[in-house]
Amino acid sequence: MKVVARFIHLIGLFFCSANFAATLHMATDADPASLDPHEHLSQGTLQLSHLTFDPLLRWTQENTFEPRLATSWKSIDPLTTRFDLREDVYFHSGNPFSADDVIYTMQRLKSSVEFRALFDNIDRVEKLSDYRIDIITHKPTPLLLNLMAYLFPMDKAFYQGRDDIVKFGNSFASRNLSGTGPYIITNREPGTRIEFVRNANYWDTISKGNVDRIEFSTIKSDSTRLAALLSGDVDFIFPISPLDMPRVKRSPNIQLVTLPSTRILLLQLNQNRRTELKNTKVRQAINLAVNQEIIVKKILKGFGTAAAQLSADDFLGHLDSIRPQFELAKARQLMQEAGYEKGFKVSMMAPNNRYIHDEKIAQAITAMLAKINIKVDLKTLPKAQYFQEYDKRSADIMMLGWQSDTLDSNNLFEFIVACPDPITGYGVYNANGYCNPRLDSRIKSANRELNPEKRIRLLQQIESTIAQDAVVVPIAWEHLAWGAKENVNISSIVNSQGWPYLGDLVID
Amino acid sequence: MLIFLLRRLFQACVVLTVISILSFVIQDSLGDPVRQMVGQSISPVEIEKIREEQGLNDTKFEQYTRYASNVLQGDFGHSYFYKEPALDVILKKLPATFELAFSAIVIIILVSVPCGIYAAIRPKNILAKFLMFSSTIGLSVPIFIVGIFLLYTFSIELQWTPSFGRGDTVLVLGIWETGFLTLDGLSHLILPSLSLAIALLPMFVRLIRSEMLEVLHSEYVKYAWAKGLSPARIYFVHALKNTMLPIITIGGIQVGTLVAYTILTETIFQWPGMGSLFLDAVNRVDSPLISAYLMVVGAIFVISNTLVDLIYGYINPTVRLASHGL
Amino acid sequence: MKYSVKEMSLPISKQRFKHIWNGFLSDKLAVLSLVIFIFYCVVALAAPLIAPFDPYDPQFMDLENSEIPPYWISGDDRFLLGTDAQGRDLLSTILYGTRLSLSIGLLAVIIQAGLGIFIGLTAGYAGGKLDNFFMRCADIQLSFSTMMIAIVFLAIFQTLFGSDYYQQLAMLMLILVIGLAEWPLFARTIRASVLAEKQKEYVDAARIMGIGPMRIMFKHILPNTMSPLLVIFTIQIANAIVAEAALSFLGLGMPVSEPSLGSLISIGFSYVFSGAWWICIIPSATLILLILVMNLLGDWLRDHLNPKIYKD
Repeated sequence: MKVVARFIHLIGLFFCSANFAATLHMATDADPASLDPHEHLSQGTLQLSHLTFDPLLRWTQENTFEPRLATSWKSIDPLTTRFDLREDVYFHSGNPFSADDVIYTMQRLKSSVEFRALFDNIDRVEKLSDYRIDIITHKPTPLLLNLMAYLFPMDKAFYQGRDDIVKFGNSFASRNLSGTGPYIITNREPGTRIEFVRNANYWDTISKGNVDRIEFSTIKSDSTRLAALLSGDVDFIFPISPLDMPRVKRSPNIQLVTLPSTRILLLQLNQNRRTELKNTKVRQAINLAVNQEIIVKKILKGFGTAAAQLSADDFLGHLDSIRPQFELAKARQLMQEAGYEKGFKVSMMAPNNRYIHDEKIAQAITAMLAKINIKVDLKTLPKAQYFQEYDKRSADIMMLGWQSDTLDSNNLFEFIVACPDPITGYGVYNANGYCNPRLDSRIKSANRELNPEKRIRLLQQIESTIAQDAVVVPIAWEHLAWGAKENVNISSIVNSQGWPYLGDLVID
Repeated sequence: MLIFLLRRLFQACVVLTVISILSFVIQDSLGDPVRQMVGQSISPVEIEKIREEQGLNDTKFEQYTRYASNVLQGDFGHSYFYKEPALDVILKKLPATFELAFSAIVIIILVSVPCGIYAAIRPKNILAKFLMFSSTIGLSVPIFIVGIFLLYTFSIELQWTPSFGRGDTVLVLGIWETGFLTLDGLSHLILPSLSLAIALLPMFVRLIRSEMLEVLHSEYVKYAWAKGLSPARIYFVHALKNTMLPIITIGGIQVGTLVAYTILTETIFQWPGMGSLFLDAVNRVDSPLISAYLMVVGAIFVISNTLVDLIYGYINPTVRLASHGL
Repeated sequence: MKYSVKEMSLPISKQRFKHIWNGFLSDKLAVLSLVIFIFYCVVALAAPLIAPFDPYDPQFMDLENSEIPPYWISGDDRFLLGTDAQGRDLLSTILYGTRLSLSIGLLAVIIQAGLGIFIGLTAGYAGGKLDNFFMRCADIQLSFSTMMIAIVFLAIFQTLFGSDYYQQLAMLMLILVIGLAEWPLFARTIRASVLAEKQKEYVDAARIMGIGPMRIMFKHILPNTMSPLLVIFTIQIANAIVAEAALSFLGLGMPVSEPSLGSLISIGFSYVFSGAWWICIIPSATLILLILVMNLLGDWLRDHLNPKIYKD
């Protein structure tokens, strides 16, 4: 009986998808630099990975995990986690998927320059059977599941022997692809467009996705991309500039979907360059003088969340008690207490094409700091030049946006607040010159702590110390915005990480 | 003739060497290519390793000599982003830009010649005055404003034309992707070629008018009138032919402007040609691609100028070609 | 001698000038253009005096005031033309921007003219190898458009001075780049005129009188080339302003904290779809009108000063 029901269900699905098979024309601002999922850790690569591969598990919109190629998992001991893998899954090449592919992929990840750091803590993968593995870590790893969302099993038989990861170079993996994912690449013109067709043997038959062709175009200019949507040339675009959102909302047949992202935009006050900035009162004054709410309201047009801490709302370290404060009088008083009521001059650098309205925000901040007599000499640069200057710490105030790869607070703390250490890679983006050994030891223990309660408390302690010391000036968490025609049901497939699950997309 | 071509070849070499040095010098100020190609979490040690592998830590002089000797062997280096020889990438995009420029030139010729001649023959006529006035307006509106205006009106509001890209293309002779042969490709061509044409059109209308006016005042035209030749013959055979000489010269010079304007037009309409490729390359600090683009553009300019001189010499044999060379 | 030297060397004699001036007054469009142009110049010169705010002072930037529509829509009498995204008074930024654009245009063309006149005179007067060399250079430079040259030069400047100084020197660099990029136009015109004038008797006379070549070039030939020069001068200023705008559009122009008309337009560009149309439209219209009147003036001058056409 059960079999019959399943059969009818399948037939029904078949007819459904046959009836409503649709082509999706989409446009984004950038395309992946390579087909190799391990060459470059970027949003473009991860978007592609979700189209052509499947992770072991993936985030849902509610920030929980849902099984993909792993069907279930459980912790065996603090160092071991057991995963059961999905059976009857085939790669695009026709090879069957098994535990060997996961082991192979993990080895490749650990040799990838870009992904290595994330998977450093993983010791080895042990094969128990063709569809069961144990992942063993060096130290207790609370974020193991977060990492497994980055493990997209690759076709071992297809890649092996010609799987060099070559940056800037021409490698087999950068031009050929065999994954288990919902779409197969049929044509690719780098920088212009990629064409996909639906994988006829896709294992996820429960998915209602009915898009059988995707034409993915790259349109760099915000207004041209929007024009393409408004004129009906494409069905789905990402991203949309906050400025254009009113126009999108006014359009009758276009829907706008926005989600808060976890990328924090912040200013770093370099204490090594300026003695004035060593003074906690001055840093607090700067924090009080910057009006995050109005930046969000006026420049981001409400499509952002004003920030006073590093951890976004869903992160474990987030403290509701830390709210953005804007008190000019108090800021001036603090400046006076610090002995700088006459103010001083600082230099500031910001990119002008990296984050949403980065240049406008930087400019607004110069005006805000002028109110407490800090004269800011602002220079904005294209991102290519900016990060060169950033690495040299060329200005007293630097702008930085940071998205935590693990969707966890500690990633932010490790990179931005921890004391710089070239060997461990801690504090690579610490342009504050702030170094607090006690904080460092807390960050390190948060990386080991398996007890969720204790870990949350640790992370929150770190967050509140950072806020008290006014180490950085948090500004806002950007919102992500997608636009689509009415009949493209994007709201259920987009997520705050910015990689839509197009395999599940339904077009009416 | 041979001496003329040899001199041109020499000149081309000088120009290309200068360009190669310049493009090399500017690379540094564009940013760090490695930083563009790696994710946020990569450690400084790893970055240093990549720099070393790519030979970016050698002295500038070493890098340049290596680059120059490769170029002499026809190797312009590999594009960082496309992972292909830079020259191949550019040549692949050449058809798109060529077709865009070609369509714009056709529009310019079809519109500017009749308008220019009319404005010269009937300078006092209302229509002529209107033509001249609108050409002045055309000259005053920067091309990027024209492009966005066209896009907004015809793609978004009226929805008559597609808004971006080339549309369907057909592969001809195995090497040339053309958009001329499909209806979709042609409809995609309308706005970009129009806005490119509008950028140069006013100049040519005015040029043809003023050259024509000058010719019409010349002695031999007066003589032709006196001889009782038909106006059509005077205007279109005698006057026009002589008007064309300076126009071809200046037209040849404008090839450079046309190439520069394709950068703007292609950016606005996301036209997948060399211009937008160049701007992308600048943004990604894809230095081999930037240098190769500048060299190709330099070569295009030398070739087009040589062609113009040859045509010039052909139409007007009194010009001794050799005296033109450096 | 029948004519005084002075009379010979002044091509626009009083009588001819009067004739031209009368012709000018009867052409309403030309008069209107001149009036508008003068208005622009006065406003640009007096910008610091008449602008309600100083747009370079961040004290006057307040996000609370951002994107207020012009007075006739918002009724807010503090900001006649509304405010931009940073809460700066649009009228003030446009006044200062016009001042910057006009100065960049004017100074750049002075460089062009200086270089062009010198090279043109030398090439035309000396002839031979020198002439050939200069004209070949001019050909090469002309065929690369200004924008290409400007992009390359600006990048080189940035390398030489480092981006630290770049923003302080941006204006100087723009002037130099636009100035250096278009000298050939002047050089060619001057050379052509020199070649024509060289044949004339008064030059022979001067030479026979033993006047040195420098003096002949600058005192006798140059004044005779004034009318085409004036025409080019007007149109080139317009072109230089457009070139600056295009460079700003590509992000190579004036920094955001000191916007020229071009950078104002390029900032405003992202507002095309947003509904805050004035941020884009008003600076664009200001620029287009300025360029238009300059071109109209140039046209008029060309039609009426060009000796060949003037004959009729």
